[in-house]
Amino acid sequence: MFLQHLLNGITIGGGYALIALGYTLVYGVLKLINFAHGEIYMIGAYLGFICVSLLPALPPFFQTHTLVFVCLIFLVAAGLCSIYGFYLEKICYRPLRGAPKLTPLISALGASIFFQNLVMITMGAKDKIFPQLITQQTMTFAGVSFTWLQLTMIGLSLVLMLGLYWFINRTRLGTAIRAVSTDPFMAQLLGVNVDTVISVTFMVGSFLAACAGVMIGLYYGTINFTIGYLGGMKAFTAAVLGGIGSVTGAMAGGLLLGIIEALGAGYFSTEYKDVYAFFILIAVLIFRPAGLLGRRLHERA
Amino acid sequence: MRKWLVLFCLCMLAVACTKKGTKEENVIKIGAAGQLTGPEAVFGADMLNGVKLAVEEWNAKGGVLGKKIELVPGDDQAEPRQAVAVANKFVTEGVAGVVGHFNSSCSIPASDVYHKAGIPQISHASTNPQLTEQGFANVFRVCGRDDQQGKVAAEFALGRLKVKKVAIIHDKTTYGQGFAEEFQKGLGSGAQVVAFEGITKGEKDYSPVVTKIKATNPDAVFFGGIYTEGGLLIKQYKAVGGTAPFIGGDGIMSEELVKIGGPATDGTYATFGPDTKEIASAKNFNEAYRKKYGEPGVYSIYAYDAANILLQSIQKAGSIEGAKVVEAIRAIDYNGALGHIQFNQKGDVKDSPYVVWKVEGGKFKQLK
Repeated sequence: MFLQHLLNGITIGGGYALIALGYTLVYGVLKLINFAHGEIYMIGAYLGFICVSLLPALPPFFQTHTLVFVCLIFLVAAGLCSIYGFYLEKICYRPLRGAPKLTPLISALGASIFFQNLVMITMGAKDKIFPQLITQQTMTFAGVSFTWLQLTMIGLSLVLMLGLYWFINRTRLGTAIRAVSTDPFMAQLLGVNVDTVISVTFMVGSFLAACAGVMIGLYYGTINFTIGYLGGMKAFTAAVLGGIGSVTGAMAGGLLLGIIEALGAGYFSTEYKDVYAFFILIAVLIFRPAGLLGRRLHERA
Repeated sequence: MRKWLVLFCLCMLAVACTKKGTKEENVIKIGAAGQLTGPEAVFGADMLNGVKLAVEEWNAKGGVLGKKIELVPGDDQAEPRQAVAVANKFVTEGVAGVVGHFNSSCSIPASDVYHKAGIPQISHASTNPQLTEQGFANVFRVCGRDDQQGKVAAEFALGRLKVKKVAIIHDKTTYGQGFAEEFQKGLGSGAQVVAFEGITKGEKDYSPVVTKIKATNPDAVFFGGIYTEGGLLIKQYKAVGGTAPFIGGDGIMSEELVKIGGPATDGTYATFGPDTKEIASAKNFNEAYRKKYGEPGVYSIYAYDAANILLQSIQKAGSIEGAKVVEAIRAIDYNGALGHIQFNQKGDVKDSPYVVWKVEGGKFKQLK
């Protein structure tokens, strides 16, 4: 029973973590909460849905090799979403780089509303239902029931998180991102192209969010144009819980949030599922204002 | 150049004014309110098409009181706040009556607005008892009530399914929770309620609640809510290895339930009105609807009859004055697509039979 709840929590927590990474990365380099990030996740889910709907029109190869097709969906949706992320930054935030802090925040909210309505108008207001690509046969091991899709989901989020960890800590571009997030001015003096770094950060964040979107779509089977709000909200909570600006913090925060929700709902009442998460969040913020793994706040708000 | 532009604008303004002026005198407006967008938009579209069909038929016969009917749709998005906004919009637009809303949580706050404005409201789907228990003379419904529905569902669970342990889930809305409580009341001491859980509408992950329910090992799981959450719950419950059948109500009566939940939904029960494909009076409706909008949704016929009752009553009252129309509805002896409808003192239909349906091979079928 406990293990089952834990597994449930990790499954959804992995999704939260992937979205939370986008918030935390952008906050790191720009000190901005990108409130349109939830919508990128939603758009990712929709792009995934469009890809899945195209299946009957594709060569028979893809119909027999579902795994190849699913990988392709992830790549296409995440790739396109990176472009969304790139232009989101270029159009909505870059012109406001020197503006007071609240201005880009308003711009982010505007972009969020724009994306929601764009999807509603182009894709319709009804729920979209994913056709079942992978059969969800239930298996039981040590009293814990799970499906292959669930394991794949957990595996994929872990792989993506490890990949990101490697990218941030072991590559030139990742080092540049860390440099900009520590001190943008100094990084610029040392020859780092700050604009490129910021663009890359948005693209990486959007890539991960889109993966989460496709994953959630495939796993739960339904999406609509409002999922970005709730998903974004939860992921933002996860990012703050782990310590906004910290990459490992966002991963830990996402998983922790999922587990707290699952255990809280499982052992107490499901009616107050969200309450447990926010209760823990408040408790953490009282004792560790920078979040669980956050750096000490350099700047005063 | 500028002079011409100003002149042109003035002309357009004049045209716009006259058009509006003449239009308002020659039409009777009726409102149709429901969730036209959002996750439950299928129910909204079914309703709107049903009302549209009724309006078109009346207009083809020359309208009501010699005037054409104009349908004003209102989208409440299944949100109580939005429902009140829609109701206020209807009042300012001067509608003669309203068909809707769908969700009880929308119908009840909206009914307060209609009551103050004296506009008749006929809900096609709101089953929460409270709607007609408020003592508002202008509020009616053509569907049944959750206390009747809950009783039928409970009797079915005890009698046919012979359940001993039942888990109950609801979506914390007026309808869902109310229906769940009526079901529990109906069970009495006949079965043990091993869990009573509320879920948040709009979420996708219900694995904590289904895991918990599965551990209580129920003979059946009751769900008070709408198909969007219902489909996900059933799918996720079966995915953690649950085997008990689900019982729901009018809220899950949509093929969308099967689309969302997949094969896991087979064997799910729902209480609803009798199959209209088998009622002789519904034959014409079904044919006309199919020709225009495709296969009717389960609520289309209720919306169609609600609209017809409203229009017929306006005709009979000889005016669009609220109080007179309300009186005409109260006195109506209507034979429509659903069969014979008369209202009691509260505004409920006099006899509303509930039957049990079952999902078999991906389709809802009425149990014999």
